[in-house]
Amino acid sequence: MNHAIISCLHANLPAAEAVLNDIDRQGIGTITCLGDLVGYGPQPNEVVELIRKRGIATCQGCWDEDIIDGLNACECSYPSQLAERRGHLAHQWTDDQLTDENKSFLASLPTSLRRDRLLFVHGSPNSQHEYLLPDMDAFAALERVETAGADILFCGHTHQPYVRELRDGSIRVRLQNADHECDQGEELTLPMRKIVNAGSVGEPRHGSTNATYVIHNDATDEVEIKEVPYDVDRTCQAIVEAGLPKVFAWRLSHGFEFAEQAEDASHVCER
Amino acid sequence: MIERWALVSGLRGDLETYDLIQRDLKKTRGVTSLFVLGDLVGPERNCDALLDRLKNPHRGDLKPDCIYGWWEEQLLAESGFRGERKADALRLSQGEDAVSALLNTVNPSHLKWLASLQFGFIELDCALIHGSSSDVGDNLTSETSPLILLDRLTRLNVNRLFTARSTKQFHLELTGGGINSQVKDLNGKREQQQAVPKRSVIGIGAGLNYTLYDIGSDKTHFLTAGSKTNPKGKGFA
Amino acid sequence: MRSHQGKCGYLRLDGYSSNGLEQVSNSGIDKTFLKDQFPELIDLSDSHHASRSQQGDLLALIELPQFQAPQHAGLTGMDPRVKNQLEALQLHPDRHLHFGRDPELPNKDTLEFKKLESFSLSLNASVWDPPSLNTLWFELVNGAYGDVYRAKALMNLPDGRSMFFNWIVSQESSQFLPLEEISAPNGRPASLSELVVQGKHLDGLRIQSTIDLCLLNDAVLEMHQMPLRDRQKEAIPST
Repeated sequence: MNHAIISCLHANLPAAEAVLNDIDRQGIGTITCLGDLVGYGPQPNEVVELIRKRGIATCQGCWDEDIIDGLNACECSYPSQLAERRGHLAHQWTDDQLTDENKSFLASLPTSLRRDRLLFVHGSPNSQHEYLLPDMDAFAALERVETAGADILFCGHTHQPYVRELRDGSIRVRLQNADHECDQGEELTLPMRKIVNAGSVGEPRHGSTNATYVIHNDATDEVEIKEVPYDVDRTCQAIVEAGLPKVFAWRLSHGFEFAEQAEDASHVCER
Repeated sequence: MIERWALVSGLRGDLETYDLIQRDLKKTRGVTSLFVLGDLVGPERNCDALLDRLKNPHRGDLKPDCIYGWWEEQLLAESGFRGERKADALRLSQGEDAVSALLNTVNPSHLKWLASLQFGFIELDCALIHGSSSDVGDNLTSETSPLILLDRLTRLNVNRLFTARSTKQFHLELTGGGINSQVKDLNGKREQQQAVPKRSVIGIGAGLNYTLYDIGSDKTHFLTAGSKTNPKGKGFA
Repeated sequence: MRSHQGKCGYLRLDGYSSNGLEQVSNSGIDKTFLKDQFPELIDLSDSHHASRSQQGDLLALIELPQFQAPQHAGLTGMDPRVKNQLEALQLHPDRHLHFGRDPELPNKDTLEFKKLESFSLSLNASVWDPPSLNTLWFELVNGAYGDVYRAKALMNLPDGRSMFFNWIVSQESSQFLPLEEISAPNGRPASLSELVVQGKHLDGLRIQSTIDLCLLNDAVLEMHQMPLRDRQKEAIPST
């Protein structure tokens, strides 16, 4: 059976509507959302209400978490002072706009969802703030899936959709300890695992302005990355009308996304 | 010239043990640094005398470089140095009495110094941390999956990780292997092979059990302070 | 200049505005950069220096901003107003080259404009957060604040370096060159820092307010400078 995975809607209503229409047209009934319903975009309440109305199973993203808990993302998760100040501005604006009811909904979201051998998270099983980029160290990537006890890990947060298959892995080790001399060495065979990044509905960062999401077939494990055009100008106009920084509209209309991304993919906040 | 580091942890207020280690080190050639990888304090005994000695080394002591460990983390959290967080891990694993016992073993005048200690040191291509880059309580042993050990090394981009949390002494070397990875995105497919880097995780022990590390030869010696056995017989010198 | 054996001098003349085309005020960026690269460079705006240095083999680079190619080639094509200016400084040019016309000059440094706006901002004593500077520059030259045809700047970094930024719409990428002179890690640098932008529909206010988000305050600057001072102390042990 096909099911759809969407992520990082970022209060972009036209993009969210276009993607859900695209999924509906294919007759796919199961949708999972990997969070970041709000942040940077101009219609946070509308997007949260759309997800609630549709009853889409959703896990909490880093933006959803920060709106509830206050800004506690460590400073190092912003790649620059400019990004940090813009992020804070967008945070403040979103915080002012969101209704209490919608905030409660975001607060109620779980950090992960599990269906059998499939695990759904926003960033990584470790943290909503961790980026699993497509070219990150393959062993570290496998560790994230394996330690979480999943066969396939669905994530978002990077805004770049991809499917990564990790296979034929092995690690040889040699142990020496205080009690006995060096042992013969052992070889650990690593299991085959997959990471699927759903990209971003509301803040694409793959070189075009199209929204992205993925479809997974749980019988064949085939994954298809989908691109959906939407009315970017409508969102850009709403950004400007909302009084958000014009540069957010400019970045979105060029496919640069609203904000820069932290460069260090392996960085894990110690907070 | 031989250059060695001494790596110590889990003293938990035991000044006598620390004194024995210092005496051992005086007799050992080439020890240039003494790293104390946390757990300076513990709930069993009053820790003030040890903390005083670490802060103000005796004449002839090898000057210690200390980081904080799991027990300091609990103490500092409970004493309000970690924001909202309290000594939840300790409370959960050993109950309320253990939390009170810990608070009673350290004079509050030491808290500021303990709070100034770092999470870890990066020296040459080595990381020295109580647990791991993932968490101060990360309990790495020789039984831990090599995949996890490799991850902890990768996170810091170091070739050797010295850890103390498990209290065990071990030297686990990653000697080979690899993995294939295929990435499919909107630009197409690409294959990538990655080899296991030659890296190690070293458990340094706790209390009387400590470790010497020869920087030049990359050799580890597992020792027990005050023991009569020839230290060269242990480890793999 | 690098290949010239003798002395080198530099002079930048102010251009003349015409038909609503706005001249950028002389910010001193080129002079500062050249002086950094050629410490012996003679400043020809000083007539005393200019006349004295003309005996011998002086290579004098005189820059004049112009919007259109002159009608005649060679020295006869020179604006008489310019000639007068130069004579007052005792300078008698022997060649007159124009970007886009004379093959001795790189052709891709040439732009044609019908209407041009300019924006300039003094950034003296300002120090940038480096990754923020990257973002601002990326946004600026890619049109986030209006159509930029030309952008040039000298920017101070927290490690004491001053960087020359140079971009022109017809070229693929920006030029980033570090100056030789490094400011001491003691508070705000004294070196010239300036941004100059030419283009259309420039939104100077938004450029300015974005820049405000990128500059380091005293406390953060001190955080960068403290370890640099410590390192200097280690490098020069006190006796």
